[in-house]
Amino acid sequence: MSKITKLLALALALTAAATTQAGAQDAKLKACFIYVGPTGDIGWSYAHDQGRKAAEKALPWLETQYVESVPEGQALPVIDRLAKNGCQVIFTTSFGYMDDTLAAAKKYPNIIFAHNAGFKRNANMATYMADFYQVYYLNGLAAGALSKSGKVGFVGTYPIPELKRHLSAFALGVKAANPKASVNVKWINSWFDPAKTREASEALLSEGADVLTSAEDSATGVQTAGAKNIPTFSHYNPMLKFSPSNVVSGHIVHWDKIYIDFLTKVHNGTYTTKNLANVDYWWLLSKGAVEMGADMNMPFTVKFAAQLKAAKMMVGGKSVSVYDRITALNAQMKKGESFDPFTGPVKDRNGVLRVPAGKTMSIGDLNNMSWVAPGVVGQVADEPKK
Amino acid sequence: MDELLNALLRALAFGTPLLLASLGAVINERAGVVNLGVEGMMALGALAGFAVAYGDGSPGSGSIALGIVAAMAAGGLAALLHAFITITLRANQFVSGLSLTLLGLGVAGLLGKKYEGFPLFGQPNQWPFTIGAIVLALLLAFWLTSTRAGLTLRSVGENPAAADVLGLNVNLIRYGAVAFGGALAGLAGAYLSLVYRPSWTDGMTAGLGWIAVALVIFVGWNPLRAIFGSVFFGLLYYLQFRLQGKTFIPTEFFAAMPYLLVIVVLAFAGLRGQQGAAPEALGRPYTRGER
Repeated sequence: MSKITKLLALALALTAAATTQAGAQDAKLKACFIYVGPTGDIGWSYAHDQGRKAAEKALPWLETQYVESVPEGQALPVIDRLAKNGCQVIFTTSFGYMDDTLAAAKKYPNIIFAHNAGFKRNANMATYMADFYQVYYLNGLAAGALSKSGKVGFVGTYPIPELKRHLSAFALGVKAANPKASVNVKWINSWFDPAKTREASEALLSEGADVLTSAEDSATGVQTAGAKNIPTFSHYNPMLKFSPSNVVSGHIVHWDKIYIDFLTKVHNGTYTTKNLANVDYWWLLSKGAVEMGADMNMPFTVKFAAQLKAAKMMVGGKSVSVYDRITALNAQMKKGESFDPFTGPVKDRNGVLRVPAGKTMSIGDLNNMSWVAPGVVGQVADEPKK
Repeated sequence: MDELLNALLRALAFGTPLLLASLGAVINERAGVVNLGVEGMMALGALAGFAVAYGDGSPGSGSIALGIVAAMAAGGLAALLHAFITITLRANQFVSGLSLTLLGLGVAGLLGKKYEGFPLFGQPNQWPFTIGAIVLALLLAFWLTSTRAGLTLRSVGENPAAADVLGLNVNLIRYGAVAFGGALAGLAGAYLSLVYRPSWTDGMTAGLGWIAVALVIFVGWNPLRAIFGSVFFGLLYYLQFRLQGKTFIPTEFFAAMPYLLVIVVLAFAGLRGQQGAAPEALGRPYTRGER
């Protein structure tokens, strides 16, 4: 027997063993996750993986598997592999997996799919998002109050609706606290790229930004702000330890809330491969899926809380401290009360009215948002002229 | 003026790992061995450097100096694997180098799991690295052109058969050059994980190794020109963000420029009917008695 035949035989034996093992665990529900970045990015993919681990801990009947660093547009072969491995629920956790996930949902009608951050659904494909736009508004208030130069730097990833929504909410907050301030944006066209984030941050600083936030999936933005000793924000996860004296607050996600809810409903038969066409999780502060904070349960760091208490802003003709304003709005939105950052009238930065007076934006509008709010300075792709 | 100075400082900060890695690659290519594994060796160096400098996270448990040594050792050892495959086993250098990139990225990602998510405090200053890299470039330029050892190295890359006839150990010299190239790629990795962005994350090299590979061709295998080339590439990298939305030129163009320039350089060399300044025996394994 040649070496190659031996190897083949060995591989076959191993596959058989693996299949038997999977068969023995049929009683469990198998959920699989596809991540766009490495689980150690300390940003987006790390947060999803924390959610996966929490769900596995909370749900004794759950077993999970994950594949990390899968480029967008290359999800289909990975899904094929997961389908062969007996995955019953597959979470695809990046916007760019949308079309691949839909194609896979049609190819595997007996598997439940859930796509993160997109808007296409199917009988066996739901969508879910824990969105930050409310939290970005609150952090924008803090950033505006803390900027002395009136320039706040924002490192953007891709100019897609999700980012435009966050950038705009942030800019509205900045301008509410500091009407003369602006938000300078630089795009890196990548979800994860520490070197690009570093140089984009440096470019923003050289243009005069003295507060910095980065939407990239690593702690590079926070570290760069730390090296220059300027205020910055945690993104997706607590990044306080990367720059303890510079993190003001931040946007922190709790994907586990959605994963546990969704998987429990799959397990008890509420969700099947037939009834997901209208299942769209859009979970905000009120569901506890997102949180404003430098660290878990820490809305502000002590140093910046003091500075924000001293900073004043005008609300309805009265002067209130920025700290009180943020705390009050955070509490309102957590309770699900009426405040929304995109309450009209809201114009875009070219002066076109986008949200009429007294109205708010629907989930569909938020997911298709292509304009950006006043106060945003810098090139923004695919911006409507009218 | 401030703007110019700042742009230059950014160019040097980003150019330092490019210069270190490309100097290493200049040496192994001058000896006739292409190593496309720079990205992988850089990743291994970044991880080894961070792991040793970080220790167990408590102050004093790690050592920056030992971290730098570990990074160079990791890069050098990975390069020796490439040397064994391409020099001793005479496998295709391009295929082996590409594999080394994938292997290095994969192994570093796997072994680095437990170091992710921790910042390194007390990180070293950038300037010893930057100035050290420039001094090294000057020394190597002198060494290559004006010393007997430098001539020996070049002869092995230009005409290994002739070098062999002269009694030089072609394979041994090539082994040494490849290991040196790997050590410098490892050092470039340490710069990334200790200085430029003091932490470890899987994939943090993000293509810098490939820019270094392109740089070697752009500067015509010349260590002196590598100084200017790396600063120039660093400047382009910074300007793609600094000039975003401020010029009529799409800034993606700046990001693509290093690669475009390499093609232009190669095309010009081709027009003049030569392969540029490339060493004559570059990419060809040496077998005694073969022509």
